[in-house]
Amino acid sequence: MQVDQTLVERIVSQVLAELGQRQGAIAQPGGTADDGLVALEEMGEAKPGTRSDEVVVGLSPGFGARFKRNITGIRLSAVLRELLAGIEEEGVSARVVRVRHTSDVAFIGHTAAKLSGSGIGIGILSRGTTVIHQKDLAPLTNLELFPQSPILDLETYRAIGRNAAKYAKGEAPAPVPVKNDQMARPKYQAVAAVLHIKETKLVEPGAPPVECQVRFAS
Amino acid sequence: MPLVAGVDIGNSTTEVVVARVEGSSSPDFLGSAIVATTGVKGTQENVQGVLQALEECMRSIGLQPRDVEVVTLNDATPVMADVAMETISETIITESTMIGHNPSTPGGAGMGVGKTILLDHLDMASPGESVIVIIPGHHDFDQAARAINEAANRGIDVRGAIVQRDDGVLISNRLQQVIPIVDEVKLIDRVPLGVPAAVEVAQPGRTVSTLSNPYGVATVFGLSPEETRAIVPLTRALIGNRSAVVIKTPAGDVQERRIPAGRLTLVGDRGTAEVDLELGADAVMEALERVGQLADVQGEPGTNVGGMLERVRAVMTELTGLPGDSVRIQDLLAVDTIVQRPVVGGVAGEFSSEEAVALAAMVSSSRLPMEQIADMLRVELDAEVVLGGVEAHMALLGALTTPGIDLPVAILDLGAGSTDAALADPEGGIKVVHLAGAGDMVSMLIDAELALDDRNLAEEAKRHPAGRMENLFLFRGEEGDVRFFEEPVDPQLFARTVVARPEGMIPLPGDVPVERVRAVRRRAKEKVFVRNALRALARVAPGGNVRLLDFVALVGGSALDFEVPALISDALAEYGVVVGTANVRGVAGPRNAVATGLVLAYAYQHGG
Repeated sequence: MQVDQTLVERIVSQVLAELGQRQGAIAQPGGTADDGLVALEEMGEAKPGTRSDEVVVGLSPGFGARFKRNITGIRLSAVLRELLAGIEEEGVSARVVRVRHTSDVAFIGHTAAKLSGSGIGIGILSRGTTVIHQKDLAPLTNLELFPQSPILDLETYRAIGRNAAKYAKGEAPAPVPVKNDQMARPKYQAVAAVLHIKETKLVEPGAPPVECQVRFAS
Repeated sequence: MPLVAGVDIGNSTTEVVVARVEGSSSPDFLGSAIVATTGVKGTQENVQGVLQALEECMRSIGLQPRDVEVVTLNDATPVMADVAMETISETIITESTMIGHNPSTPGGAGMGVGKTILLDHLDMASPGESVIVIIPGHHDFDQAARAINEAANRGIDVRGAIVQRDDGVLISNRLQQVIPIVDEVKLIDRVPLGVPAAVEVAQPGRTVSTLSNPYGVATVFGLSPEETRAIVPLTRALIGNRSAVVIKTPAGDVQERRIPAGRLTLVGDRGTAEVDLELGADAVMEALERVGQLADVQGEPGTNVGGMLERVRAVMTELTGLPGDSVRIQDLLAVDTIVQRPVVGGVAGEFSSEEAVALAAMVSSSRLPMEQIADMLRVELDAEVVLGGVEAHMALLGALTTPGIDLPVAILDLGAGSTDAALADPEGGIKVVHLAGAGDMVSMLIDAELALDDRNLAEEAKRHPAGRMENLFLFRGEEGDVRFFEEPVDPQLFARTVVARPEGMIPLPGDVPVERVRAVRRRAKEKVFVRNALRALARVAPGGNVRLLDFVALVGGSALDFEVPALISDALAEYGVVVGTANVRGVAGPRNAVATGLVLAYAYQHGG
């Protein structure tokens, strides 16, 4: 079989069509950042933290705004809640910022780490890809990277929050165990590419990260 | 003016020295080399390593390997050693009476007593009732906290909680009052319901005080003196934990059981002794002293120790090519150690420290393979190849080239497989002894006690000091020394306890404190090297009295260790013995003693 430009285009357009249908099926009423479970309010430019017991969670441009669910349909509000719960369980405080100038998970995580008083940050994309970063590391390295968004579940997000908090406390946690699914790549690659393009369109070059107030309805 | 090479094939390294031997004057040493031994010591694969070492050595002095006229080879196979380990105690919990684990983040603090009740059944409790809430994993922390708050508002006295997930702090943060919460209890469905239970969580940095005290538990549950005596193992098991749960059930118990590990039969020249392995290493070593020079050791068939000795024998048979029944164990070193094992019947994946015994065994083997190695070298090098004398004699000769050394002197050869000692008195008499247990056994002990499950990593942890990367730029060593880095180190070293290898640090798995790594490492070295040094010297010393020795020189690879010489020196100082690390030919340190000795022996015989 010959793989040429037209074939790739055809597959992408098919995926796009299918994705459109599926998104229609799971579309949420409203469409604002407040989807009933969580309120994400942008509070103005994020400042570097001074508390050494904090972890900063950096959200991608579309997280919770344009996108409500990750690549496998898990509510992003639930994802964020688990990340924050993992941090809280370790007795560490959390701050949430929205990174607007990039849609690259490494740079989002690194931006969050640089804003964090402990030097530890988490970067997360709308499709679910996550990284734990440290401010002194080169942006493209990391403490822990979770590149396969389709196989991350809520339990994993809790563990990611927990590990980030442990790094902030100067502990040496065992890396979060991640399942490996050989089929995740072929199954989701096109969708991931499309989601990435959509998220990248929301990037505002040069815009500084903003502080976010998070409220869970409880 | 023949060019003579001394070749020493050791367990882990092959050492070579080349010298020009002229008439009656002492040999003129030209150069030396050291490479890793290829294959198992005493097998034909060693030839590769010998050739490599010779080439390296000859190249360093501008000559070819074929220029060597005489090769003297050590009689490399007097001993072979192997190590094995067996656990001899285990802790068993029945009826899930106890949860004694250390979740990193329990919730709240304090001590609470009440009847166990499921979160879903809280609405069935009557006001005024004291309860301990059991929260299985399907409950969200927010809902759980809300349900507990509502119950408390209805007058139910919630005294504590046991949680399946890692939600202790999350629930605690959402409660109106502070109660102790033990979380990460994996098998929570095994916790009995409707029975009295006590939950205790200590402040950070402290350990439980009531539930680890038998009278504390007696007070809580109103126990009789007989019952109090029965719960002592349970309270002992909880000592050192930050959080604990004790549940009162009719037949519940915690037992520390000795595993029937089997009996060893030691056959020596002064008689035969039987010793039970579960009595520990000291009992074995005492019996060993009683039977004198060991002729063989048998393990009780069908027991752990029987299997263990069978494995040693099987390995030896494979290595030496001797038939299994003619492999006789000539020395044994037993060492007590502690290993972490999961508790049988535990509901939270508890681990407990269990006793284990490590054994090193040594067998004599055939000298046939050395003849084959000599034949192969003869063909490869077109040189005269002679088999030199006993290894320990040669080591002694080599060690005597150390500046400032004089007879009488004893040497201790600390290798990887065996610890050897030799004593030379001024009259020329030489006494030699080979004992089981050396560097390899230390590695095994470190591997087991730190639960590394990686012998190579244990080897590194043995050789180098530990430390911690405090952040990406700052390293703090075990002695408090601090080193800064210009560039951030590899992220996988971040905040980790590391082995400070000069050519690059290696992270240790888990969150093991630096102090523990240091303590385990030093204890392992003491148990093996110090004990064997005393044992070996007592065998060669006049009248078996170590005090009658004056000087001891250390040779062999393990004498290069950064702390073993100091540990041995400390121990022998009590006997008034001076210990120093040999410096062979004034240049080679404790290395190359055997190779040097071989050349010297050749020169004496032929220069005569």
